[in-house]
Amino acid sequence: MIEVRGLTHRYGGGESGADSGDAGGSVSDGDAGGSVSDGDAGGSTALREVSLRIPDGEFLVIAGANGSGKSTLVRQFNGLLTPDEGEVLVDGTPVGDDLVAARTRVGMVFQEPRDCFVAATVARDVAFGPENLGLPRDEIDRRVERALAAVNMAGRGDERIDRLSGGEQERVAVAGALAMEPSHLVLDEPFTGLDEPARESVLARLIELNRGGTGVVVVTHDLRDVLEHADRLVVLADGEVAVDVPPAAAVDALGDLPVRRPERC
Amino acid sequence: MLTYEPGDSVGHRLDARSKLLLQASFAAAAFGHTDPVGLAVLTGLTLALLALASTTPGVVLAEYRGVLPFLAAAPVIESLRFGAPWVDPVAAVDPALAAYRTVLLLALVAAYVRTTPVRESEAAVARLVPGKLGRLLGLGVGLVFRFLPVLQADLARTREAMAARLGDRRPLRDRVRIVATAGLTRALSRTDRLAVALRARCLSWNPTPPEATFGREDALALGLAAALAGWAMWPAAATAPW
Amino acid sequence: MSTATEDVDLVGEEIAANVARAALFAALTGVFAYVSFQLPVTSVPFTLQVLGVFLAGVFLGPVWGAASMVIYVVAGAVGAPVFAYGSAGLGSLFGQWGGYLWSYPFAAAVVGVGVHGAGDLVDPDTVGLGRLVGAMAAGTVLIYAFGTVGYAVVGEVSLVTAVLAAAVPFVPAEAIKAAATVAIVRSDAVVAR
Repeated sequence: MIEVRGLTHRYGGGESGADSGDAGGSVSDGDAGGSVSDGDAGGSTALREVSLRIPDGEFLVIAGANGSGKSTLVRQFNGLLTPDEGEVLVDGTPVGDDLVAARTRVGMVFQEPRDCFVAATVARDVAFGPENLGLPRDEIDRRVERALAAVNMAGRGDERIDRLSGGEQERVAVAGALAMEPSHLVLDEPFTGLDEPARESVLARLIELNRGGTGVVVVTHDLRDVLEHADRLVVLADGEVAVDVPPAAAVDALGDLPVRRPERC
Repeated sequence: MLTYEPGDSVGHRLDARSKLLLQASFAAAAFGHTDPVGLAVLTGLTLALLALASTTPGVVLAEYRGVLPFLAAAPVIESLRFGAPWVDPVAAVDPALAAYRTVLLLALVAAYVRTTPVRESEAAVARLVPGKLGRLLGLGVGLVFRFLPVLQADLARTREAMAARLGDRRPLRDRVRIVATAGLTRALSRTDRLAVALRARCLSWNPTPPEATFGREDALALGLAAALAGWAMWPAAATAPW
Repeated sequence: MSTATEDVDLVGEEIAANVARAALFAALTGVFAYVSFQLPVTSVPFTLQVLGVFLAGVFLGPVWGAASMVIYVVAGAVGAPVFAYGSAGLGSLFGQWGGYLWSYPFAAAVVGVGVHGAGDLVDPDTVGLGRLVGAMAAGTVLIYAFGTVGYAVVGEVSLVTAVLAAAVPFVPAEAIKAAATVAIVRSDAVVAR
């Protein structure tokens, strides 16, 4: 259970536009790497008085436009950011009191997983989290195997990460979070930059994990496909909760909020 | 380029630390005995070690063909004289021996790289350097292996984009600046994401130690390393005033 | 299954950020080692590694800049293909050009101290041009001192030969790298945090 109580976050951390082009105008920004959404990594957007309860096992979609504060919000779930006011509790314990517990209970997968891998090969990367916990080697091996099986990557532990496709990299990143055996899995814009088959395969794994009892929180600005599988939709706008409804009521509730909505619902 | 080749040679079975130590003591012995006899002995040893690592001399030469001209430069320059007879071959002997010694050292490097997976090199660093320093250094080395191809791709795209718009006709200092700016910008933007990911995954000072792979063959390798180190000291010991 | 979380000693936020940066600058220096340009007229090929040394000192400061170069050298020593033209290995450190590699951590520290002083890091954009250039010149002198002495000792040649073979052809390229560093520091494209 993740509980957010009256959370307020004020400043906008890093400089905005730090990632914009070059001075001479001669270097093209060839890929999507430069697109930074709200609060990506260092920077953060303001949040005002946000309260939210995410029960274990829930499939929650948090939507909102760029700059609405959704990345800032989820980074408080495991203490990557600290609120100015209010608090976040994971299983009843304030996050700041036990960061290790918060970070093992709430697994997080970031945008641009490519930049978040720490090892050159798949199994080595998935093992990174459990190694940090100081678990015995055979327990680590067991967890890596299970996590890779859960994302359909069993037997591919020795492959080089930089040779994998975008969808495969996303799934390895999910496995890296799963190896901590979290109760909640939070994914920040997991579908960005993926083609249709890759989106589907990632989504299918998430649905499967959720059926197995893991809570799933998907942060996105694009509600296509994902909404029909969710238990609940929360929409942030300007740092506040604008909508908090079951998905069936979503289309009515969305009004003219700036999110990409599903074609069918 | 040199990369790890999976296999089951003696070289593959040795612990990375044994192989690093062996290289270091080999280097010491080579410096102590940069004479025809010493280098002949070490050449024999190098060939034996290469065979144990299922690496042929041909592979080594192909690998370093770009480096060899640079190695040849020193003996050539040293043998030149300002005045008749202009060339003094005798002066080139010592530099040539030294250059040959470098070739032997590079051959062992090739054997090491071809038999040692990244994770073992990383673990060797974490184990050889104690405490927090070893933790940071091991982590840093692992990250270098991970991000080298990523940043390489970044720069390759930049150079391509530059060439596509005829940027390669610009003055040299412009081209250097453009490539450097692009590389740095990308590296910095990746850094922030990486740092957050490290924290989210509980980066700790006391992780599970890497698996030890020390076996019987490692004992032999360490014995050989000790012998080489002893031999490296020998000329100094023999001429010492006691 | 849950572990005893109080036994896990987390690395603090600041150190985590610095290690990430130091490692990426090391990797960038490794990538620069492959990027080869040719000097005009003489056609001497040169790589950009030293630019990595300059950038590490300027953007990371003396301590983490030096740490970054230690990571670079150690990664190369254990087989990451990060030395000039993708070479690697402990042997490179004892080879003829090894003196250059040994110098990088010290040179990054010298550049870092020159730009930032001994205390807290400053925004390099606020540092005067003379100071920037002076710091990089001092770093360059150190690099070439290590490099040529190493070349002479390891190669068993005279210092004159070493200077002719291992320094003179490459020094003009260092000026270009220093100029590039200044341009990067002064541009808005890169924001150091």
